[in-house]
Amino acid sequence: MSGGGVTRPTLALGLAALALSVATLIGLPTPLQAVAATAVLVLLPGQAMARLTQVTDLALSALLVLALGLATLTAVSTVMFYLVVWSWQACVITMGAITILACIARARQEATP
Amino acid sequence: MTGALDPATRTGGRWKAREVWCALAGAVALALAVWAASTVAVPVNSDLGLVAVLPYPFWAGVLLLNVAFVVALRGDAAGPARRAVMMWLVVVLVLVLFGTAAFVADVPRGEVAFRHLGIADALSGTPGIDPDTDAYFNWPGFFALLATVLAATGLDPVAVALWAPVLNMGLWLVALGVLTGYLTRDPRRRWLVLWVFCLGNWQDQDYLSPQAFSFFLYLVVVALLLGPLAARTPVLRGHRRVDLAGWWRGRSPGDRADLMAWWRGRSPAEPRPGYRVGALVVALLLVAVICASHQLTPFMVLIAITALTLSGRVWPSRLPLITAVVLTLWLVYPASAYLIGNPPLAEAGLQGATEANVIDRLSGTAGHVLVVQIRIVLTLVLWALAAAGAVRDWRRGRLDIRVVLLALTPLLLFPAQLYGGEMLIRVSLFALPFIALQACSVLLPTKGSPRRPSVRAAGALALTCFLLAVLTVTGRFGNAQFDVFTDDEIAAVAAVQRLAPPGSTIISAAHPTPWRSEAYLEHRARTIDDMCRSDLTTATCGPLVYDYARHSPGGAVVLLTRSSEASLVLQGASSAQGFDELEAWLGAQDGVELAFSNADARVYRVVTP
Repeated sequence: MSGGGVTRPTLALGLAALALSVATLIGLPTPLQAVAATAVLVLLPGQAMARLTQVTDLALSALLVLALGLATLTAVSTVMFYLVVWSWQACVITMGAITILACIARARQEATP
Repeated sequence: MTGALDPATRTGGRWKAREVWCALAGAVALALAVWAASTVAVPVNSDLGLVAVLPYPFWAGVLLLNVAFVVALRGDAAGPARRAVMMWLVVVLVLVLFGTAAFVADVPRGEVAFRHLGIADALSGTPGIDPDTDAYFNWPGFFALLATVLAATGLDPVAVALWAPVLNMGLWLVALGVLTGYLTRDPRRRWLVLWVFCLGNWQDQDYLSPQAFSFFLYLVVVALLLGPLAARTPVLRGHRRVDLAGWWRGRSPGDRADLMAWWRGRSPAEPRPGYRVGALVVALLLVAVICASHQLTPFMVLIAITALTLSGRVWPSRLPLITAVVLTLWLVYPASAYLIGNPPLAEAGLQGATEANVIDRLSGTAGHVLVVQIRIVLTLVLWALAAAGAVRDWRRGRLDIRVVLLALTPLLLFPAQLYGGEMLIRVSLFALPFIALQACSVLLPTKGSPRRPSVRAAGALALTCFLLAVLTVTGRFGNAQFDVFTDDEIAAVAAVQRLAPPGSTIISAAHPTPWRSEAYLEHRARTIDDMCRSDLTTATCGPLVYDYARHSPGGAVVLLTRSSEASLVLQGASSAQGFDELEAWLGAQDGVELAFSNADARVYRVVTP
């Protein structure tokens, strides 16, 4: 538990999203870029949102990480295409922001007694 | 509520010798299968596809893998082998059955994955989405996802498409593993469901496609319905014959009132309201994404949600209505351009569906017809096993109505649309997880707890699994003569991209052709097979194709490949001699010149007058 009542996993998730978003946007060597982009686009937002659902079942939690991450990225990308504002960089920034917002929401949940 | 993760499955403690041997056997089976598949020469020159050319070590590997799985599944009195061993064996099975083609050739099988790469490429290169382009642009969700992932990761698109079947099967199995956890507590049954699902998966819908992605999301929605969104019904009756017969005989208004009271009396299986709300929000997001990604899957989602809700097994009673509204909104707005020219139910009818899905597919060379028959037999065998399992569960009072509904409701789709003659394939895929689950009721013993198979029963199970694997490999890779491409064919397609100016027409002999992965919007694409469907003879088809090519704005390029010729011959649309005559006639016409050729392809440039 951190000083403000926010758990370390929530803090780590938010910071990882921030760092990996920046790293992905700057650009990394090919295999690292794939890993970082997959994390920031799918896994981290999926994990951040799955934690908001209060799921306790480990298997369902893992499934929701994948499903929520992929579904949210699909929704974000599709909306951006319809609005004619799509670029992969914009998607990275949006998914990073969604992850951080989900972490803030989770932190508020954790701060509530 | 049954948890998705069974505490009875072993994860810790010392490894037993049996577990070590099973894991090693899995590794040996994988090595055998990969080595054997990598020795197969391309092109595959057999009407039966890969099954005829895979060397015997491949089959030895498949046999060893199934024996190792059954030994691990049998385990001991405490249950099956530890989770790591069971998962490893499932991973090996996925690599062996669904990665085989990737070990044979280094480009994806079939045409559609190439086309899907082209659509994602086109999306990322154009402003906005024009729904008038074609049907794909009315359901662009998956392609938007693909465009983003490919651009952000920098991965090679062809490599992604090549390994997509393995990746998609992995996703499906994760979802199936979770939802099966809500339907049975028996760890043996749960592992066997995953195994049978793989062994029955001949449908070949796991390539890089919207339907594979949507099927994964569909399984997740079902898992949510069976888990956090599940409801308990007030009276646990209705499975006994006497109860159902009594209800059927006395369907009076009073009975219907009783039924409504029974339905309204259900309670949420999940006690935490916040968790239920969270699961509902997730389910709605997934439904919306499915509606944006694929034509058919949303209807299956609606049917499944409605069936489970009406059976009293889902707590949020308005979920079917919300799903119907989301689906309708997508159809009347983003997909309206497609629907104006293709009204729903325009092709509805059982007779037409049967002709398109079964009769029309039973044509071609003897080997090809045998492959199609094997696909039908494999499906029927699994359905027969499931029916036997259902009867067995019924007699023991353990029939789960949710499994029955999820297995049978996909059949409602069959007469609704021809779906290019693929509806039966899609129906069998939607039903497969639950058919596999029900079939396990007859593949595992009924007595004893946990239900450990005897040595004889385990032997029979290993043999059954091996035979199913042979049938699946036959059915799944039965078109390898024309859907596994050679390097020369890929080189010819690259030459076509160079030779065809923007605005020109590219004409291929037939599907599948590994084209349109680039410059999707720059060319019109037609096949000779589509143009001359009723008559491919030179006298009729030749002038038709020539006139079309000569009068195409921007000119035309005709691509004739070994695989497209094999496709026409195998499926009975033409003969090798007839195809050669047509090519010779086309090549001799004014304005037609051979621009590229290699061992497996020729490219003709047709100049407009």
